[in-house]
Amino acid sequence: MSGDSEAGAGKDAGAALRYVCYGKEKESPHLPAIRRLISKDLSEPYSIYVYRYFLYQWGELCFMALDPSDNVIGVIVCKLEPHRGGPLRGYIAMLATRQEHRGKGIASKLVRMAVEKMREQDADEIALETEVDNIPSLRIYENLGFLRTKRLHRYYLNGNPAYRLVLYLKPGIPYKPTYPPEMMPEDGGGGGGDPLHESAGLMSEDLMARQAAQMRIENVEGERHDGMRGPP
Amino acid sequence: MPVNEAGEGPSTTAASETDKHAGLGHANAITRLQQEAMAFRRRTLRNITTDFTVAAKQLQPGELVKDEFFTLFEAVGALEIMDPKMDSGYIPPGDTLDPDFDPSVGLEAGEVIWIMDQLLCLEITWLEGHPLSQTVYTSLHINRLLSPDQRHSDSFHINPGPPPLRTNQDTLVHTVLRAYCIGMIKSSQLALHLIQSQTYFEEEDFVTHLFGRELLPKIDSSAAADSLLEAICWLETCGIAGGLCPALLQRCKFCLDLLRTLAGDAQRWQDMLLDLDQIKDSHHLGSPIPDAFSEKVQRQLATSTPPRPTIQISLDAAHSKWTKLCQEMLSAYELTDSDAIDNSHCLERAVWAFAYRTQPETLARAQMQDLLFSNHAVRGQMPHYDLMLTDLKSLVLAGDPLSNPEIFQIELPTDPRHACSALLREFMEKAIEEFMALYRMVYQNRCRIRRLFTQSIGIWDELQREADAIDDGLRQYPLSSQVLNSGYARTNGPLLSWARYHTSQVLVWTVQLGFETEIYLPDELSKMYWYLSALCTYRNLVIESMLRALLERKRRVRGGSRDAADCVASQQLLMSLLDASKVTESLAAALWKFYYLLGQTGIIKSPKREFAKPDLLHEARMKSYLNVPAGFVTIDLPPADGYESAVEALEQHQTGSHSMKTTTFQAIDEDLKAAKSSLAALKKYTPEQGGYVGTEAEWKKEIKQIETTCVAVAVGLSTLKRLGEKYGDGQRLGLQGLVECALERKYHVWWVIPQLKEKAAK
Ligand SMILES: CC(C)(COP(=O)(O)OP(=O)(O)OC[C@H]1O[C@@H](n2cnc3c(N)ncnc32)[C@H](O)[C@@H]1OP(=O)(O)O)[C@@H](O)C(=O)NCCC(=O)NCCS
Repeated sequence: MSGDSEAGAGKDAGAALRYVCYGKEKESPHLPAIRRLISKDLSEPYSIYVYRYFLYQWGELCFMALDPSDNVIGVIVCKLEPHRGGPLRGYIAMLATRQEHRGKGIASKLVRMAVEKMREQDADEIALETEVDNIPSLRIYENLGFLRTKRLHRYYLNGNPAYRLVLYLKPGIPYKPTYPPEMMPEDGGGGGGDPLHESAGLMSEDLMARQAAQMRIENVEGERHDGMRGPP
Repeated sequence: MPVNEAGEGPSTTAASETDKHAGLGHANAITRLQQEAMAFRRRTLRNITTDFTVAAKQLQPGELVKDEFFTLFEAVGALEIMDPKMDSGYIPPGDTLDPDFDPSVGLEAGEVIWIMDQLLCLEITWLEGHPLSQTVYTSLHINRLLSPDQRHSDSFHINPGPPPLRTNQDTLVHTVLRAYCIGMIKSSQLALHLIQSQTYFEEEDFVTHLFGRELLPKIDSSAAADSLLEAICWLETCGIAGGLCPALLQRCKFCLDLLRTLAGDAQRWQDMLLDLDQIKDSHHLGSPIPDAFSEKVQRQLATSTPPRPTIQISLDAAHSKWTKLCQEMLSAYELTDSDAIDNSHCLERAVWAFAYRTQPETLARAQMQDLLFSNHAVRGQMPHYDLMLTDLKSLVLAGDPLSNPEIFQIELPTDPRHACSALLREFMEKAIEEFMALYRMVYQNRCRIRRLFTQSIGIWDELQREADAIDDGLRQYPLSSQVLNSGYARTNGPLLSWARYHTSQVLVWTVQLGFETEIYLPDELSKMYWYLSALCTYRNLVIESMLRALLERKRRVRGGSRDAADCVASQQLLMSLLDASKVTESLAAALWKFYYLLGQTGIIKSPKREFAKPDLLHEARMKSYLNVPAGFVTIDLPPADGYESAVEALEQHQTGSHSMKTTTFQAIDEDLKAAKSSLAALKKYTPEQGGYVGTEAEWKKEIKQIETTCVAVAVGLSTLKRLGEKYGDGQRLGLQGLVECALERKYHVWWVIPQLKEKAAK
């Protein structure tokens, strides 16, 4: 298998596991297993495009824990992009460990590897969302230094709220300007109106419903602009 | 596999470059989209299965074929055709496309009752924020009425012409149930309209998606009400026995009340509460007919949403949810139904009192917004500009000629009052939106209230600048030189003071809402309570300077005049606001020191935070506050990074034989004492003085909650003292592993208090 494999395992996770990077490979033989692992804890599956979206563009930010028979035991999927014309933001989209292997530090190790890699790639900050009552997940991130910066009302399909967690890797981020989505310079500055409707065009209503359908991957952080509907 | 030429959905969009070549790719994609749009108009059908298969063979599995417009958003929106979990149009082998139920068939009275109750459950779950596709639309009767095939009819019958009403069962369905369904649909439309006319957050608060259906646009609410009246008439004489008739009547009456109320023709929330109780009592008369509902309806809806289960709740649950909604609606009217709403402070209290019932339903929050914001006037009687003027007057302009509305009438350009009123108007135009937002934001969901206020900090900061400039302008026109110039120091003009007052309030709220939404971890509590306390110290200075300016003006107004009375009222109000701020300041001061001790003693531990650096943590936590220029003219905002020096000062206090903990204990005791004495002062204001007319009960309740909080802090403190004496060595207080600290119990949502318990010895 290709990808920069990384020898060595987390000390708690048992020497039997290998931690490898998904790497540049477009459609790794592990993809179906990754999908199965992630889907287990979702009420609705992500389409294959969601996985490809991340893995094709940021395969180097995806890490897997494999057992000696190459079964995927844990996985983390991320991306790294400028956030609204401002800081370079890493985003942890998915994280899961196989049920029978939880509590041994596997996920923590995967997050650590992803954070290191993003730092290497010059990330300014890393963000993610997690359900407010997902204690293991909160533990992992808070132990690594993430802070809760927002509570998000009814973020998930099941109606549960989430926290946004953020880790700064560089100083000065609060002072960097960002733009509300509809004023992004590269959008040609088309002002006003509702960002989602504007960018998504005709299909927006469907897409929005669909987006809510998913355990949402990322909340477009338009703040006042974000999803807020006001009197005309 | 016939698809139209334009292609369908993101999964077949044409190939393009990767994101790196954004410019060119973007232009290409735009051209392509334009071509597609043209092609769409000329579309014909052609079978492209073979072409598609051939083309697909040229790609490697996993190769992402996407254009510049394919974002994560689209990736999430894409679905895999024929995957039963994603494709709502997928029909499993052996299943039928359509449900096996004919809505035009006559039904027994019990069955109609059951269907009506089921609809009642689905309607409220929709109002609670679930999509129509999983609620109301699953009714096959509703589905028939809304079906695009029924465009020219509003009947359950597919055939044109009136349905034959041969039996009671027929009439029960075609007259009674149909009227009920139409009533529900029109009520839904009115509710939707009310919500959409106000500020809310799509999907967080409400899902407005209609899935390509229309809510009977050709029937208006009065026609729907007529159908219900007709049904009621028939029921009154139909002679159906066994208590079924009254049960059906109650349900139709509820439906009619709801419809008329939402249509604005009546105000029946109180009646509906009674209707609901009766419906609950007669629910047992229903005979289940589950076939009248089906999720298969989703297959026909315009959506890429995957198939999802109906949100099923019991009638008892629906009853309590409807009851809650009716009560909230009533409360919206009650809280705004007094002259007190002409007073900006009373109104503010009413707004918060409403919002701090357990999170009101979106519809009720929309109703409350409608009452406050329609026609730019509160309850249609107090124009927003006038409200802002009373706010300015009560806080910074009592006894000042500027506060007299008559100056706005003066048209003579040479009259300085004309120039001053123009300046004041200019400022009000700049500030009115943000001022009214102080009321509007409180009607958003709890998480959003904090975030919206946080975003408004910068806007208020900007308004301070504007205010200062306009204050300067006002000084050019010695409208009443004694009043303006002596009341306020050079950089302390009335408008700047006013803007500062509101800024300080917004800042305080953002931190308090942080405690409520639990975004601070236990080891952050000390710092955040310190910041809260420091913000209140700032707020106290702002209010004190307003008081000083007021006293100056008061000395100069004629005794017994209207102005003199205004000054007295303003003084009492300002003093009550000051006392309230002092309560928060002192209690927060007690808590930051207490949490500091809990950290020092190892009772509250910090997470390892492997990747974090202290200065970066500080920036992440205080992000919203770092861009506010500290020390903007004369009164300093507390520096967001002052916590460390506060701690240093606290530690320096230890003198001689006193160990650090004793002096800290004493300091906390003093803070608590100060909080209690400010509370005692607060209790003395009448509703008119304190600006809480109309919310007297809530005012009392809040004071009680804070008192209890003070007691709980004192209890926690004495526990810590006792345990310190038991385990400590007099110098250091190491209690790590010996004491449990629970933070769950709150007497007020904004105050996190530690509950300490000695751990049982192993
Ligand atoms: C969250 C998840 C990835 C954790 O995987 P894992 O490999 O078990 O994680 P780790 O062993 O590295 O760490 C788990 C941490 O949570 C703690 N934890 C686990 N279960 C816990 C529980 N029920 N209560 C309190 N703490 C718990 C562990 O003690 C550990 O913290 P520690 O390092 O301070 O000891 C895993 O539970 C999972 O796959 N869940 C479903 C998917 C999911 O929720 N993903 C995250 C969404 S963003």
